[in-house]
Amino acid sequence: MAEAPLLAIDGLEVRYGAVEALKGISLEVRTGEVVTLIGGNGAGKSTLMKAVSGLEPASRGTIRFDGQDITTLAGHRRVALGIAQSPEGRQVFADQSVRDNLVLGAYHRRLSTADLDRDVDRQFALFPKLAERRAQMAGTLSGGEQQMLAIARALMAQPRLLLLDEPSLGLAPLIVREIFAAIRALKAQGVTILLVEQMANQALAVADRAYVLETGRITLAGTGSELRRNPEVRAAYLGKV
Amino acid sequence: MVVLLQALFSGLALGGIYSLVAVGFNITHGTTRTFNFGQGEFLVAGAFVSVSVLLLLAGKGINAPLDAIDVTPTVYAVSLVGGTLVTAVLGVMLYFTAVRPFAGRPGLAWVMSTIGFGILVQNTALAIWGPSPVPMPSPLGNDVIRLAGAGFVPQEILVLVVSVAVLIALDVVMRRTRLGKAMRAVAENRNAATLMGIDVSAVVVGAFVLSSAFAGLAGLLVAPITTASVYMGLTLALKAFSAAIVGGLDNPRGCMLGGFLMGLLEALVGLWHAELREIAIFLLIIVVLAVKPEGLLGRRRVEKV
Repeated sequence: MAEAPLLAIDGLEVRYGAVEALKGISLEVRTGEVVTLIGGNGAGKSTLMKAVSGLEPASRGTIRFDGQDITTLAGHRRVALGIAQSPEGRQVFADQSVRDNLVLGAYHRRLSTADLDRDVDRQFALFPKLAERRAQMAGTLSGGEQQMLAIARALMAQPRLLLLDEPSLGLAPLIVREIFAAIRALKAQGVTILLVEQMANQALAVADRAYVLETGRITLAGTGSELRRNPEVRAAYLGKV
Repeated sequence: MVVLLQALFSGLALGGIYSLVAVGFNITHGTTRTFNFGQGEFLVAGAFVSVSVLLLLAGKGINAPLDAIDVTPTVYAVSLVGGTLVTAVLGVMLYFTAVRPFAGRPGLAWVMSTIGFGILVQNTALAIWGPSPVPMPSPLGNDVIRLAGAGFVPQEILVLVVSVAVLIALDVVMRRTRLGKAMRAVAENRNAATLMGIDVSAVVVGAFVLSSAFAGLAGLLVAPITTASVYMGLTLALKAFSAAIVGGLDNPRGCMLGGFLMGLLEALVGLWHAELREIAIFLLIIVVLAVKPEGLLGRRRVEKV
């Protein structure tokens, strides 16, 4: 048997009051993989990401990270274990500078200023636009720049698993291309990524494996290219018949 | 002219007190969208615990009068630590009993529960120390210092120096340190702060500790000027709250500015017609809220989609 998956979710259920947002999800992500989760609005994609980061409690099922059961572990402790997330809608700290946002990303690492500077420069190399704006308040950035900042901030945690929740949401096509170029660059570096997207075509193109999520259930799974060829996926998510 | 100078100075000293308490409102409001409506009673607690520490150090009983020789700068500093520590612990108790069960829920249960906690504190103080005001000598003595023809009360100088030093320290911590950035992150977005690996619950408890300690500090700073009284809290806290609203509840610098404005306004109007002080303060609030509802330095949040 191959080595255990980095992230293993088994029978996960999450409820908002009476509403069951996730109805028994099982999926896994292996070290070095890019796995994508596609699905329409309200399918439960963001809920799943929140559950993995500990922002939503699981009502049933387990989440294991690197073999350890983290289902009930507090959210901030999961970051220390190596799970970082760029959340839906960016959620950068608008009142703090670009640099301070990045510094907060490395909060749990307690770095010296020299080490912080080195890691911040590494993010600026990935996203040169951010370097020009390092002293600017994050709230004054464009949507695309905020998205880059949100990803860079998550990378500052030096994650073993990077969660990207809808990084293309609300962005112009040209910017979306830039974001996906960055995701491919991260993949080439060997970063393990779980990517949630509505832009199914580009997400499937970058993914090693993919899952389709519909109203709280996984309905299809396969490699990225398999799902791209799947007629149901083409009709429902790629706009092709 | 001389009178004006004195009033300006008294106003700034009083403003320092309001600023400390107002910033306390900002700190807990930022992190939990709640604040302690019984904050005034924490000033009372701070003042009386300090008085008791001073009596203890002078070897006197709990209801004995304090004499000037009992209050040296050293023992005052010790009582200052004691007073702020006790109010900090009260802040933790307040958070777990009166805030955490209700914060973030619909309704305003936390308003009632924090007022209730304050009443408990006040009645406990009443039972221990009784209703009569306790004069508290200043550690710097009561000899008026003459400068440019104007007379300055030493305690007012102490109040101004200590409050400004604490406020500057707070400002530096919030802007420059890892902890301060984390507190601001929690204030802006709890979920995103958790995603940074910040222990949000610990930061929130810390916010109540800080806010309560500031109130305690304000209480014992003001006590030598106003005398320590079980009933002194409400008015001071109400004016500090007004200061936070005028300056901008979401901005710590705004709360500081509001505090000093309140103090100055009160002292200057008091020169002219003492009975108009409160009227002037609440007129100022109405004018500011009409022109800038978010407060002088407050910000209307604009969210980018």
